[in-house]
Formats: sequence, C-alpha cells, structure tokens
Amino acid sequence: MSTYKIPVGPLHVALEEPMYFKVEVEGETVTGLDIQAGHVHRGIEYLVAKRNIHQNIVLTERICSLCSNSHPFSYCMALERIGGIIVPERVEYLRVVADEIKRIASHLFNVAITAHLVGFDTLFMQVMETREIMQDTKETIFGNRMDLGANRIGGVRYDLDGEGKAYLAAQLARMKAPLDEFRDLYETNGSFLRRTKGVGVLPRADAIRLGLVGPVARASGVDYDVRRKAPYVVYDRLDFDVQTLADGDVWSRTMIRLREVKESVRIIEQCLRDIPEGPISIDAIPEIPAGEAIAKSEAPRGELIYYLRTDGSDKPARLKWRVPSYNNWKGLQVMMAGCKVADIALIVGSIDPCISCTER
Amino acid sequence: MSDGLILLFSVLVFPGGLFALALGLLIKGVDRRVAARLQRRVGPPLLQPVFDLIKLSRKETMIPAQSSAAIFRWAPLAGFSCMVLAAAMIPINGVYRPSPELGDLLTLFYLLAVPAVVLMLAGSASGSPFGAIGFSREMSIMLAYEGPVLLALLSVAIRVGVGEGHLISLSLTEIVQYQRVHGPFILDPWMWPAMLTFLCFFPANLGVLPFDIPEAETEVLEGPLLEYSGPSLGLFKMMSAVKCVVVLGLGITLFLPNGPDGVLGLLLFAVKCTVLAVLGVTVVRTGMGRMRIDQAFRFFLKWPLALGIASLAIMLARS
Repeated sequence: MSTYKIPVGPLHVALEEPMYFKVEVEGETVTGLDIQAGHVHRGIEYLVAKRNIHQNIVLTERICSLCSNSHPFSYCMALERIGGIIVPERVEYLRVVADEIKRIASHLFNVAITAHLVGFDTLFMQVMETREIMQDTKETIFGNRMDLGANRIGGVRYDLDGEGKAYLAAQLARMKAPLDEFRDLYETNGSFLRRTKGVGVLPRADAIRLGLVGPVARASGVDYDVRRKAPYVVYDRLDFDVQTLADGDVWSRTMIRLREVKESVRIIEQCLRDIPEGPISIDAIPEIPAGEAIAKSEAPRGELIYYLRTDGSDKPARLKWRVPSYNNWKGLQVMMAGCKVADIALIVGSIDPCISCTER
Repeated sequence: MSDGLILLFSVLVFPGGLFALALGLLIKGVDRRVAARLQRRVGPPLLQPVFDLIKLSRKETMIPAQSSAAIFRWAPLAGFSCMVLAAAMIPINGVYRPSPELGDLLTLFYLLAVPAVVLMLAGSASGSPFGAIGFSREMSIMLAYEGPVLLALLSVAIRVGVGEGHLISLSLTEIVQYQRVHGPFILDPWMWPAMLTFLCFFPANLGVLPFDIPEAETEVLEGPLLEYSGPSLGLFKMMSAVKCVVVLGLGITLFLPNGPDGVLGLLLFAVKCTVLAVLGVTVVRTGMGRMRIDQAFRFFLKWPLALGIASLAIMLARS
C-alpha cells in the first residue's frame, strides 16, 4: 500500500487551538509525523518588556485561557522574590484556592474533550455540566468565568468572607456525587476503554528522557509534582496525594486528571478550614530593585517556570517562561509512532496541549 | 389510471419520494430531539432537518478544483434517486403493496448498498485525503456488515418460503402476507437471531454511532462529505433521510408488519418507524462512543455473523 499525506490542522474540529500535523499514512496507520507550530505567536515576551510590572499581571493572565491563573501567580511570586516581599499568610491560602479552582475547571474540560473525541458525546455533556458548577463558582467569587484576576503584587484581589466560604464549600459538595458517577463511567464503560486503553502509550523511560511534566508524566509513572517536590505558598502544609499510574496510555492520562480533580477539591476544603484571618495584601509595594529570580508552580498541565530579571525601573528587563506543553509536545512523537488515523486527535488531546502558552 | 402512472406515483409521491422524504426528515428531527433530551440539552426544533435543507438549497455548491467534477456533481443525485426507488419497494401493511415490477428482496438489498457506494465514489472524486480515508473505511465496514445481514434476510425468506410451500420467498408482499396470517416474527424466538443481526445492521448502514466511522467528525472531518456544500450536500442529507425510512421500513416488514388497514395502518407504520429509530438508533448512539474501524470490522465478523449463521442454520434445520 502506498503512503500518502493528510493534513491535521492548523484548523481541525478536534483541535482546540491551531497546530499543524503533517501526518504520513499507510492505510489507517501513521508512519510519519511532522509537527509545525507558530500559528498563535503574539510576541508576548516582547510586550511584557514594554509594560510596567502592574500591567504585566493583566498581560500574563491573557497568555492562555485554561491556565490563566498560573501565569500571573508565578509572575507575582518571581517579582515578590526580587523585591523581598513577604505576603500575608491569608494571601497564600487565597492564591491556592484560586489556582485549584482553575485546575478543576481545566482538568474537567480536558476529560470532557477526551470523551467527545471518542464520539461519546453524552459523557462529554455530563462532564461539562459538572464543570459548569466550577464556572459558576468562578463567576460568583471572582466576577469572571475564565480570567480570575485574582493576583496582584504582594496580595490578592478577592476575599472570602463567611458567606463566600460557605458558598464555595457548598459548590464543592455539589460536585462530589457527579464526579464519582462519571469517574465510574470512565473506569468501566466498554466503549470508552476500547478506544483509550493501550492507545498512545508513553513508557516511563521516554517520559523521563524527554523531560515530560504534569499529568502526562504522572500517567507514565513519573512521580513529579511541583507542589510536592518544591512546595510554594502553603502547599507544604496541605494534605494531598500525588496521583500516578503506570501504563502511560490515553486512559491513564484521563484518569490522572479525574483523580487530581478530587485532590483539588480536598485541597480547597482544607484551605477553607485552615485559612487565617488577616489582610489580603501588603500595605505598600516597595521599590523593586535590580535583580533576577525564578518561580515555579504546578499549572494544570504541569511545571511552569518563570524567569524574571529587573533593572530597577518599573518595567521588567526580561521575562521568560517555560510552559509544560513545551516539554509534553515532545512526547507526541513517541505516542503517535504507529498509531491509527482515528487516534491522532485523541492522542493530541490527551497531552492537553496549550498552544497559546507555548507559542505566546 | 394506467399501471405506468400508478408506478410513477408510487415512486415519486407515495410511499417513495415525497412521503418517504417527509417521514425520514421527521424521524431525523425526532432523533435529534430525543438525543438532546437524553443528554440533558434542549435540542433543535422537530423541523430542524427541513430548515437545514432549505438553507442548503439557497447556497452554492462549491466544486473543488482537484475533484472529478462530473462524478462529484452526480453522485448525490444517483444516491438519492436509488433510495427513492427503494422506498417504493417497502410494503405498508393494509395500505400499500409494491408492484412486482419494482423488484424483490434481493433488488432491495442491492439498492441498499448504493448509498455506501455513492459515498465512496463521492469521497474519492472529491480529491481530499479525508475523502480517501472515508472511502476505505466505508468499504471496510460495508464488507463487514453486508454478509451477516444477507444471512438474516435469507433466514426470513426461507422461513416464509417454506411456510408457503416453496423453497424460498423473495417477495416482500408475501413476507407481509405470511406474517398477517401466522403472526409477526418478532414473537417467534426462532427468528430472534435474525432480528438481532438486523439490529446491528441499523447503525452501521445508517452511519451513526458507534459505526459512523467513515464520517467521523473528530477523526476524518465528515470524510466523503467534507468537500460537499449547498444543494449537493442537501441531496446527501435527503438520501440519508429516505434511506432511514427504507432501512427502518425493511426491518418492520421483516419482523413486525402487522397493523390495521387504511389511514390508521399508515399512522402505525410511521409510529413504528419512529419508535424503532429511537430505540435502535438514538438510544444506541447516545449510549456509547465510536469504534475504530478495525474494532467494528472484528465486531461484525464475530457477533452478527455468528447470529446470522445460527439463524440460517435454524431455518434450514426446521424446514
């Protein structure tokens, strides 16, 4: 049988963002893969050097939508490190709450899309309906459904009073029953297992060799979570389990995300219980001296690293970040070797690629 | 009226042509609405498929530069007209008896393969690589389901034939007549293997989940239909609506044709079609995900084929 090329992307119904795969196929089997990127490059690294440190919080939040809280969060941490700013304890808890709410929404979105990609639209609808609880929560607490606008230098821009805490706790409680219900479906439904078990396998050795991070690496048995390995804010005081699975297939990556959603619910509940009283911001931001700093955080897709250099002016001299999808991208070559045409979109979706973050 | 005119009427207006199209579009509307309700959505109006057709009819048919224009343009029309002809061959108990000149069960079986062939032609003529993949998938799945369903059809034909005193009966009218006298086959456990085979054939032939593999939207972007637009796409949608009635009607003819005469019989036929569509198509397609082509191929060569062979063996043993 002769080989021929099919274009998957840059615009493709199964891809959330533009990415171009030149796939070489023989019958239904993929024999070659060439990934081309660069369709959503917006020059944000250049733009941040043109704006002052406060404006950059707004700008970094708009790098991408699903991990929109991780970016300003890490940026603020790097800046506070240079300025020697110690944030109040209440702020640290509130930052965790915001970040975990975003993680729940992001993971559920990917889990739903996976069901859609195997054609199981009823499950897709069910998961999206549950995700809507978190979207409503975001809108109620932060005023927005995607970009929370939660961070500022030395503090946060929202507060949880008694009523807010009770509301958040009630919303989390509402999620538990549906979460368990569709976790069972993902675990046992034949038509889902048939398409995802043993598909797009990434062995542990390859995950380590290519430096994969986040749920993708954890699904291949790599026990790496920034929240545990290099705890920031109050994560060292919170009780949560780093989930890992051994198989490294599409199904494992889906299950890891589902389990992490449950862990995130647990984390938020602990925050609501332990959060101390106090201010939600420092009184005045001191002069930011010249210096450089690195901040790491666990974004929904994995390790997010921010490097910031300042020169004493109100604009960053250099801001650079490495996003998890940049590492995970490499894993696609391994996962797609010899896969079927039907599984291309499914495998791409399973690494939860964030093109906007990667290309910025 | 002369026989020729009656024949023309039965093909173009009732029960082929207009009637089958209207019923098919209504069934599609019900299917979409029920599927939406099963997924806790509101769903489109019942007449949405009609609105879609009206919209498409006002648009332009784009013909890709690299396509074989003649095949690309005529394939949908060929598919639609074959389905209209097939619809005129489905008897409605107490209302309509197809003229023997139109053909028998085997002719219908051949006609039922036409839409798939037309889709293959259209897919390869469109010049798109996704059309080519759709072509190969359509071919594989057709090869997989044609065998088992032929066995199921033969089982019914032999059962009726032996009952009527000859070896095999390929006349659809005779099949209906036999069940009118001896009770519908749906009540006879010996016929259930054939019926189950036929139920597996529904989603595959109608191209819905879990067997919508040739047109899988998230995999091959509607496959053969990818390059189609405007009235040509509308013709494909009409073909699929009429095919829906033909396949459902065939199922009803084979296993449960009984009902009163006259207008009530006609209504009952429409209700039976709709109920069968909801149970055999809508519920199935909302309840599971898509198979991969190799999985579907293996599925058909396992269960439906085994059931088909078993059913044929039962019929031969009992005759």
